[in-house]
Amino acid sequence: MVLENEIVFIVDLLAIFAIYLIVNLSLNMEFGYAGIPNFGKVLAVGAGAFVAASIPGRIFANIAGIEGDYIENNLAIVSEINVWLVDNIGIGFVVFFLTLGIAAVVGGGLGLLTSFPAIRLRGDYLAISLLAFGESIRIIGNNFTPLVGGTLGVQVPDPLSFLPGELRFPIATVGLILIAIVVYVFCEKMIRSPLGRMLRAVRDNEVAAESLGKNTTQIRIKIIMVSAALAAIAGALYAFYVGGTIAIAYDRASWTFWPFLMILIGGLANNKGVIIGTLLFVTLRKFIIFFKDSFQEYVPFDVVWLDFLLLGIILLAVLLYRPRGIFVEKPTPTIDVNGKSTGLKKIFNFFFK
Amino acid sequence: MPLDPIFSDAIIFASLLALLSIGLTLTYLTTRVPNFAHASFATIGVYIALVTTRIWDSTPYIAIPIAFVISGIVAVALYTFILKPLIRKGASQAIQMVATLAFDLIVIALLNIFADYIVKTYQVTSREFTLRSYDVEFMGLPLIVFAAPITIAILAITLHIVLRKTKFGIAMRAATENSDLSGIVGINVKLIFGVAWLLGGGIAGIAGALMSLWFQGDPSLGPQLIPSIFAASIVGGFFSIYGAIAGGLLVGLTEVLGTRFLAGEFGSWLIAYRPLIPLVFIVVTLLLAPRGLAGINWSRLRRHGSRK
Repeated sequence: MVLENEIVFIVDLLAIFAIYLIVNLSLNMEFGYAGIPNFGKVLAVGAGAFVAASIPGRIFANIAGIEGDYIENNLAIVSEINVWLVDNIGIGFVVFFLTLGIAAVVGGGLGLLTSFPAIRLRGDYLAISLLAFGESIRIIGNNFTPLVGGTLGVQVPDPLSFLPGELRFPIATVGLILIAIVVYVFCEKMIRSPLGRMLRAVRDNEVAAESLGKNTTQIRIKIIMVSAALAAIAGALYAFYVGGTIAIAYDRASWTFWPFLMILIGGLANNKGVIIGTLLFVTLRKFIIFFKDSFQEYVPFDVVWLDFLLLGIILLAVLLYRPRGIFVEKPTPTIDVNGKSTGLKKIFNFFFK
Repeated sequence: MPLDPIFSDAIIFASLLALLSIGLTLTYLTTRVPNFAHASFATIGVYIALVTTRIWDSTPYIAIPIAFVISGIVAVALYTFILKPLIRKGASQAIQMVATLAFDLIVIALLNIFADYIVKTYQVTSREFTLRSYDVEFMGLPLIVFAAPITIAILAITLHIVLRKTKFGIAMRAATENSDLSGIVGINVKLIFGVAWLLGGGIAGIAGALMSLWFQGDPSLGPQLIPSIFAASIVGGFFSIYGAIAGGLLVGLTEVLGTRFLAGEFGSWLIAYRPLIPLVFIVVTLLLAPRGLAGINWSRLRRHGSRK
């Protein structure tokens, strides 16, 4: 069975959509609901990807007893691991989920660490220091070879290597979408909990929230940590999906600027808006990349820049003419305490109400 | 006069950082939004220097006034067409910051398009280029080693005189301190803010034109410089022009000489981590003295600026 081009296109689109959706939901939690301008989103995503690149491979190599320097002979070791994983599916999945856990912990820790110096100051100081921290991840990844192989990058072992070649990506995509749904449910639950209400209170009027005895600094640190943990999971998933990590891919545009663009198009502080915004953006981007070559001969420069120009202008237009996005923030209903609605209805309410 | 090139490097880098930090502080004083596109205004200056030198076959120093005007106009465009409407619509500071990021992206895209265009049309290297060989020699050193600090001195004195002695400067200080009140007494706040953005962007353009004579020019120069510029401004306190100069010099000198010193002590692998130095500055400043140098040393001299 050979997959058609269109199916490959859609499968890839959905996978990237699912990964960006997780990043965007976490950013929306921070920026939309808590009002924290995290311009260093790339830090958590990169950290997750770096965890996926450096830890599971070494664990597998240890268990399978594969010798050699993990970074130097990376290609050989990872292909050996992938062969070994075909017969050890269980261990593969255990380590996969373990890696996601480690990524979440590392991401959360980094969130705490980076927010600490500026969390008590005004928002712009926080934004600047987070931005500067975000720039650092690429520099460290590029130069500290044992982490992700420096400028050459490393391969990431594939827990799905037991699947035949053409089925691997579609099934990985299904898995990614399932994880994204779990994250979506988690975010919605969280936003509708008393914690979520407090977040919006802190965002809308910090002084008032403080006067009611809420610890605004602590809640902001907490939300940065949770959001960084989610973003790190997304980063790790991305590394597993593409099967490799290279530090240079974790730049400010891809993992900080695009997520901001997506949530602003979709609608700030509205998770359904985030879904629509992400889908719109990812599809647009995919089509631009797809049709890039056919444009190339008409313009005297690299078409990539036209893409940047277009997206920058779209974002400015959205900010100026539709500042609240496609979906406007609605009053968030809290969790139904009576619990009378039945299973199906609950699910329906969850997504459409 | 034999001088270790590292010192020229340090002097020039520190001066340019101070210039960029002055501009950033000027614009920050008016709208209270950290302008993430500021470094790209300098990149515009770099490309203007490239055009004057390689295409017009003139000296790079001609680029200074042109860069001032063009970068200034771009900065005013950002203020007038994007930030002003956003402020009028009551957008939060975070949204304004996102807008400057978007503007930065557009400027970077245009610079890249321009760079590609230059290569195709004039067959001139437009990425990772340097104009070092076009500099004039003065007392055995490239002129830029003197030009960069002198530019700061001239600009600092001019700004000091303008802000302290002229009616316009006093109006500007009043407008940054309390824009509503100064509007009531008949100061044209919008005009004054526009001029502040013109000056801020223009000074960044000058820094860019000078930068091309020593450092490698590339469209991605802006994103590389941004952490250093913000570190300089935060160290300087973000509310004071003098603080910005002090912060720029401190961060710039430490970045170049500190890296050299540490590399000598621990090995040359450390050089690659130089971009982390601004980060250390930001963290240390925010933890120890969140209001920067201007908040500690110059508290009595600094009558304009700080609201707190």
